Amino acid sequence: MHATKVDQLIPGMVLAQDVLIPRTGVTLLSVNTKLTVEMIRRIGYFDINTVYVAAQEKSDKEKNEEILAPVMAETHDKSVAAVENFITNYDQDRFTQQILDGLVGDLLEQVEMDADLLLNLTHMKSYDNYLFSHAVNVSIMSIIIGEQLGYSKAELGQLGVAALLHDIGMLRISVKTWRNNGSLTPDEYQEVRNHPFYGAEYLSKKMTEDIRAVAAQHHERYDGSGYPRGLKGSNINYKARIVALADVYDALISDRPYRARLNPQEAIRLIVSDQEGFDPQLLKVFLLTMAVYPIGTYVKLNTGEIGKVIRITKNQPFRPILTIYSDRQGKILEVPIRLDLNQDENHLLYVKETLTGAEHEKIAQQISNSFPKQK
Amino acid sequence: MKAEFINPFVGAAYDIIKMVTQTQASKGELALANSPIRGNEVNVVIGVTGDLAGQIILCMSEATALEFATKMLMNLATETFNELAKSAICELGNMILGNAVTNLGDNGYFCTLTPPTLFIGKDVAVSTQVLRFLVVPLETEFGAITINVALQEKPGKGGY
Repeated sequence: MHATKVDQLIPGMVLAQDVLIPRTGVTLLSVNTKLTVEMIRRIGYFDINTVYVAAQEKSDKEKNEEILAPVMAETHDKSVAAVENFITNYDQDRFTQQILDGLVGDLLEQVEMDADLLLNLTHMKSYDNYLFSHAVNVSIMSIIIGEQLGYSKAELGQLGVAALLHDIGMLRISVKTWRNNGSLTPDEYQEVRNHPFYGAEYLSKKMTEDIRAVAAQHHERYDGSGYPRGLKGSNINYKARIVALADVYDALISDRPYRARLNPQEAIRLIVSDQEGFDPQLLKVFLLTMAVYPIGTYVKLNTGEIGKVIRITKNQPFRPILTIYSDRQGKILEVPIRLDLNQDENHLLYVKETLTGAEHEKIAQQISNSFPKQK
Repeated sequence: MKAEFINPFVGAAYDIIKMVTQTQASKGELALANSPIRGNEVNVVIGVTGDLAGQIILCMSEATALEFATKMLMNLATETFNELAKSAICELGNMILGNAVTNLGDNGYFCTLTPPTLFIGKDVAVSTQVLRFLVVPLETEFGAITINVALQEKPGKGGY
């Protein structure tokens, strides 16, 4: 139980004592009430300084998350290493379906277990290993989109493998070129644009048509503006259209040698602003899946609190689940509080704005200072 | 019906429309009408209880709703009233309510507002507890939005 100043109350906090109207002693709100926006405003109209709120009990779901998150992080690292090993030692004549299944098996399982938790992980990026962690992230996002499309497990496996190997053609390009942080020479530029060709060449004829098509076509754009062949609309392989979205999104939220990462909402915004480049039906599924305020975005509510999107509610792209880190005055909370905007009692709250890239960095830093164990 | 509890809703709708579209709305002629409320193609119904009781109903054409949905969805082309567009219009309702509840509180009215419910389809008629209701037309660049206010004060309620 803590005494909390009235202007630091946050919807979702639970009263540990009755709140009485001063002088009259009439009960305004009784113990165990879960505070809503209206109640907090109402308390604010009386001459009340502090109220007692209960320490927030962690739900079973939150406890499970705490156990599952490190396991997933480990699997993510292992997958990155496995993909790196597979790609760098790739031999057209010596691969088996079993190896491919092995690469994607854990990812499939974990998407099924808790896709949101896995998506949180895709934001913890190691810059050095971009090519391979990017492959894993694109695979995760592609599988999540495929799941929304109702793909069977076998189909999801194909999509996941295709996404893991989509950039395999990059191996032909010198490391110097793809790590380049300045401008490329025309020759180098052409070389990079050839990686889809190389990829398709590399991949064995024994691999499925889809896997090779994704490597060859993931930079094609729906309006014909892509490369290398300038394919248009339904001439582009369907799985390649899915991977194209995941590929762009993950690239945008990653630090690259030539630019800093965008925050997840800026990335979505940029993709939507270039909507002609993507299959319109898939773009809608993508937006419903990743949401208007995607996982990892720091947002400010209409009541002034700042939190981070940690979960998406299906088909409710405007109503994510947040971890609230700062109160209305911008003070970091002692204990972060979880807030589900899709709960009926929270419908008067809405995301007023997303924090800019610089503000993201700043609050992320403040949070990691205040809660060293949480990332 | 009093301005003290009508203006919070109208003001909130006005502010949110401005925020979402970056354009001004203009208020048309107010009128009184009798229940039931005749809806438009897309109708957002909000229940009010507490110091005030009744309903607020926002009505617009589907074309207008799609324009607003597109704005809410970062200019994503929205031709049909699909899941995304519905979620966007509900969010528009939530935003208006979120602001309205603050304005109401400032005027001394404490109310509980229900989450918005979307009714789609022409010829929707909503019977209200309050027999006479106020029609507030808002003109926007993207078409008209009509706010129907059917509220009554709890007896003995005078505000602060």
